[in-house]
Amino acid sequence: MASVEIMNAVKAYGDQQVLHSINIHVEDGEFVVLVGPSGCGKSTLLRMIAGLEDITDGEILIDGKVVNTKHPKDRDIAMVFQSYALYPHMTVEENMAFSLKMQKRDKEEQKQKVAESARILDLTKLLDRYPRQLSGGQRQRVAMGRAIVRDPKVFLFDEPLSNLDAKLRVQMRTEIRSLHQKLKTTVVYVTHDQVEAMTMADKIVVMHDGYIEQIGSPLNLYDQPANLFVAGFMGSPSMNLIKGRMDRSDPHQFVTQNGKVIRLPCPVDIDPGRELVIGIRPEHFEVSDEGTEFEVEVIEPTGSEIQVILNLGGEKATAAFRDRLPLEPGDKVRLGMSENGLHFFDSQSGNRLSPDLYMKEVSPEH
Amino acid sequence: MVRWQRGLWWFLLPSFGLLTVVLLWPLGYALYLSFFDYYLGSSDRTFIGLGNYVELFTEARLWQSFWTTIIIAFGSVGLQFVVGFALALGIYKLKFSARLFTMLLFLPHIVTPVVAALFIKWILVSNFGLLDATLLGLDITPPDWLGDPIWAKISVILADAWIFTPLIMMVLYAALQTLDQSLIGAAQIDGANAWQILRHIIIPALIPAIIFTVSVRLMDAFRFFDTIYVLTGGGPGTATETITMYTYQLGFRMLDIGKASALGVITLVVVAIILLTINKVLTRIYRRGD
Ligand SMILES: Nc1ncnc2c1ncn2[C@@H]1O[C@H](COP(=O)(O)OP(=O)(O)O)[C@@H](O)[C@H]1O
Ligand SMILES: [Mg+2]
Repeated sequence: MASVEIMNAVKAYGDQQVLHSINIHVEDGEFVVLVGPSGCGKSTLLRMIAGLEDITDGEILIDGKVVNTKHPKDRDIAMVFQSYALYPHMTVEENMAFSLKMQKRDKEEQKQKVAESARILDLTKLLDRYPRQLSGGQRQRVAMGRAIVRDPKVFLFDEPLSNLDAKLRVQMRTEIRSLHQKLKTTVVYVTHDQVEAMTMADKIVVMHDGYIEQIGSPLNLYDQPANLFVAGFMGSPSMNLIKGRMDRSDPHQFVTQNGKVIRLPCPVDIDPGRELVIGIRPEHFEVSDEGTEFEVEVIEPTGSEIQVILNLGGEKATAAFRDRLPLEPGDKVRLGMSENGLHFFDSQSGNRLSPDLYMKEVSPEH
Repeated sequence: MVRWQRGLWWFLLPSFGLLTVVLLWPLGYALYLSFFDYYLGSSDRTFIGLGNYVELFTEARLWQSFWTTIIIAFGSVGLQFVVGFALALGIYKLKFSARLFTMLLFLPHIVTPVVAALFIKWILVSNFGLLDATLLGLDITPPDWLGDPIWAKISVILADAWIFTPLIMMVLYAALQTLDQSLIGAAQIDGANAWQILRHIIIPALIPAIIFTVSVRLMDAFRFFDTIYVLTGGGPGTATETITMYTYQLGFRMLDIGKASALGVITLVVVAIILLTINKVLTRIYRRGD
């Protein structure tokens, strides 16, 4: 077990800089998920921690020691690859024992350690098989088995579930979580799937184009996205983001680019000259006579809820309701929102505006 | 998948016919002739059964040419495989700016073997050759590259290796490109050093390509002719006389077509046995459970 410290880490391929001064602190035993769209540099960062990729600038510390120039095998980490990277001409047992064999541990110890890991991951019956004789889920499990055999200080996962079907993915998510609770080893886990990040992480690092957008707990990111990127990326269906500005005469009214008015649940004190983006999560809409009138375009029932695609003067929005509302395409519906479901972002910088800057006392005449 | 239908075999007929005419017929004819005492140009042909074979096997010259072939074939294929593989690994690591480099390395393979051999001869020929002239200029007395029995073998081996190393390099390099990079990463993390990665990860992954190149090259090397013909003509004496050179001597110098045919059949059998053995051994080593 160990902490991982990434300090001002930079990665460049030639002139092209793909990671810009990354700072992340991973506590001992923490499960940290790096999430971001494909190409944002997650794998590169993970490979830098593993030692498979040079660190152009900055430092990476594992267990308090700088590892920049250490060989991967001396970093005491284990990695699970997206392709699983199982050695194709070795049996499951040989795959799992490979690192021990390289360390020249004695045969008895190898057998015993492999057997124990196999038991934890329910692989005992598969030990004599070759990778190509396994299903995707079993391969995934063997890749994890190979990692835990070594009892490393840190586990690194690079999109380990993205080659599995949806059902197995959900199941393995839980399994990896419970394995982490059992072993309590520090984990750095890379995924492009924000649901995976939300459900698995103690702490999420949202990355975009080689920069960190925000670091925080899953709920923290969900409730207080620091900027437009995080707001749009975390959550499914994603947050509605509508451009406009505050009305000059009425602090309860937000005017969209198309001149439509959205009725706010509370007065908001932001300079009407400032270009804004208002953010509302689909589930924070509620039917209310006081609300704004939207036109229903499409209805998508998921079973547990219904998702409604709305139109407001050409601006699209999504709402999700637990109740099975009797709505039809073409209907008009008045929707309001709760006060704490409201987010404001500066349109220029994309940054979140903190509520204590714009909320003011509800005036008594209202 | 196309379901097998009656009548589809008609479509095989043209290619099968062609194969029969250009491949099987000459082969069958050679086998047939090998049972006759027959000289090119003479009108009588006597059936002598296995006479040609018995004669060949009891002659020292066959055995000598056989060993010469083995030495030259394994020597040159071994050399070009090791060097070609090393170069393939080298440019695999270089990755960038490798293209021009590979083109240069490929040069000897682009020219026809006869021209390449002439080129080498021009370097190696005694006293006036490029190599000798250089060495003599440095006051070093060079050995007779093509006239000394041992040096002649070495020269032939080097010449063949020079011509065919680029081919092996390209095939193995292409195979390396299909290797899943994360396997190497995983092995590095697992603590394998460069040698162990080569042995446990890279070579097993390349086995099909290795079988292909080694087999094709060995097959070729056993029929090794043009380079030797140009460089030494089989000499000095019979120092570089391979089976094919000997066959050529028998058939086109001594005009003993029956005996030459018998030698051709023997060569075919030997090459087939060697290739099957190599294929089996290589497969057995690395493809367990496949
Ligand atoms: N070997 C390389 N040479 C040049 N650019 C690379 C190399 N590897 C990755 N990149 C670039 O670095 C960026 C981040 O890649 P990667 O870390 O794989 O993204 P992710 O894992 O988040 O999808 C991408 O823009 C990619 O094109
Ligand atoms: Mg990636």
